[in-house]
Amino acid sequence: MNGETLLEVDDLRVSFRTGQGVLPIVEGVSFVVKAGEILSVVGESGSGKSLTALAIMRLITDPNAVITGSVRFRGQDLLGLPEPAMRSLRGGAIAMIFQDPMTALTPAYTVGAQIVEQIMAHRNAGRMAARTRAIDLLGAMGIASPRDIAGRYPHQLSGGMRQRVMIAMALSCDPALLIADEPTTALDVTVQAQILELILRLRGEFGSSVLLITHDMGVVAKVADRVVVMYAGAIAEAGATRALFARPAHPYTIGLLGAIPRLRGPRLVRLPAIPGAPPAPHDRPSGCGFAPRCAAATGICAAHPPLITHDGHAVACFHARAA
Amino acid sequence: MSDAPPLLQVRNLTKHFNVGSRFASGGRQVVQALDDVSFDVFAGETLGLVGESGCGKSTLGRCLLRLYDADGGRILFNGHDITAMTERALRPLRADMQMVFQDPYASLNPRRRIGDLLAEALIAHGQTDAAANRARLAELMGLVGLAPDHLDRFPHEFSGGQRQRIGIARALALNPKLIVADEPVSALDVSIQAQVVNLLADLQERLALTYVFIAHDLSVVRHIADRVAVMYLGTIVEIGATDDVLHEPAHPYTAALISAVPEPDPLAQTARTILQGEPPSPANPPSGCRFHTRCPIAQPRCAGERPNLSADAAGRTVACHFPLTAGGRLP
Repeated sequence: MNGETLLEVDDLRVSFRTGQGVLPIVEGVSFVVKAGEILSVVGESGSGKSLTALAIMRLITDPNAVITGSVRFRGQDLLGLPEPAMRSLRGGAIAMIFQDPMTALTPAYTVGAQIVEQIMAHRNAGRMAARTRAIDLLGAMGIASPRDIAGRYPHQLSGGMRQRVMIAMALSCDPALLIADEPTTALDVTVQAQILELILRLRGEFGSSVLLITHDMGVVAKVADRVVVMYAGAIAEAGATRALFARPAHPYTIGLLGAIPRLRGPRLVRLPAIPGAPPAPHDRPSGCGFAPRCAAATGICAAHPPLITHDGHAVACFHARAA
Repeated sequence: MSDAPPLLQVRNLTKHFNVGSRFASGGRQVVQALDDVSFDVFAGETLGLVGESGCGKSTLGRCLLRLYDADGGRILFNGHDITAMTERALRPLRADMQMVFQDPYASLNPRRRIGDLLAEALIAHGQTDAAANRARLAELMGLVGLAPDHLDRFPHEFSGGQRQRIGIARALALNPKLIVADEPVSALDVSIQAQVVNLLADLQERLALTYVFIAHDLSVVRHIADRVAVMYLGTIVEIGATDDVLHEPAHPYTAALISAVPEPDPLAQTARTILQGEPPSPANPPSGCRFHTRCPIAQPRCAGERPNLSADAAGRTVACHFPLTAGGRLP
């Protein structure tokens, strides 16, 4: 963690043109990922977290999508980059893994062939060299018989094994940044523990930064250095993981952490639930998105609360709990 | 609780599925989804059924309600052996045992209004008085925290949490004694999940319900269940009071499962035991103890001899030749 900024997202907005006008989904998201760090973007469904990741990778292909703001990777603006340059970046310096590796792998080729293809597309490597590297990588993912696994088709592998293959493929070109969108959500908890250990180990061995998109505060607590909490398309709170879990300041973060049933500690008779449900994009309130569910909300919450940073801990709330 | 006879008694339950075909690669295979499963559920309690995908917990839930026919063993509901009952004989009992599914959207017909969907259950059981049914439906909506005018809406007009409330209302329509809930909150966001867990707890108290709560999330189960049964590859490896099982696990698999759960606390101890590999295929389960291929303390005996689920010296009901000592620490 040398603190050098790798990715800088500034006022990113994603909207869709619909029959009822322009529908904003991501409403002004800004954060940085520093070299060697694991930053987690956490939020519930509809918070805009996945769309943020897709926008960074320029993978939103819907012609009705309107994307504004800036995404700078090593100082280079990705949103304005010509498609061929973007394509060589994807899978090269920036790699992405998804929740469901089955849909991201081609069923008709062996997984080894798919990794080889990626290496050859990005590197000036011969087939033999690429194959050796593919098998080395599978071995580095903790796969016991990498040569055997390389010769198999995706459907012959278990979910955890497929996700290892995806991570091997993502790392095949030494990415500076790995974007992982819910990488362990489809996996069983014992396999999830293995993959999370792997992600932590890779940050050490490969020196990649990781942008981890998840809904699971447990996953965040285990691997992230810093965390960005999103709600209704905007950042509610952001900061160092330990500080944020120890002293959450936004009523949403406080409510979210309180609503999670715990495996340890006292058993509560009732879980402190947050009333209501996150707003659908077409009926988000005009001011603070959380106000309709918030016990602390007052008249001032009809305005958009600015994201105010104090000591590296950013909160967007007029009634933020004092640190 | 243990003085009264159990509401549900399950004895040596076995269920297998034939998969593949003789033309597919690998040919026909028999998957042992449930293998010699026995346990009791007492009236008014919640039994949590936990395990990873493929462990047979959903199959077990469906067998309990005769949505699947078991291949062997017996299920006694309120003293009646329902395993061999004809559909006709079973029908009146069906009102007493209902199911809540994981994905409420998939279990609600998108073209029918909520009121019609809920009335269907009543009509199917001979309650055809329209005025009485309307009153009952309004009452049901109140029970699950929805408004009576929601009855005129279609499933797509509801959020995920509201749909699960509708799924629960449907299960409650016939005043059941037993509800089998199969991952009822795992598709919901955390803030909504807590609401539905609280609702289930409230309903249990108000209506004296008995739950079999199937889930992969140990933290949710800890919160709602009085007792927990841990399953692995079609067998129960450990069963007991929730606090005992989750705080002082006796089976090494239970211990590993618990330590794999990421706690929402950055200062929490990291996993002590990370299991290697993944659960083997239930089509080809390991010999002896089914967990021995992944068990950190397996001995030669474990590969050859299958441990029975029985109470150990410390009073823990566990299927292991070498159960863990107090504290759940691996020796």
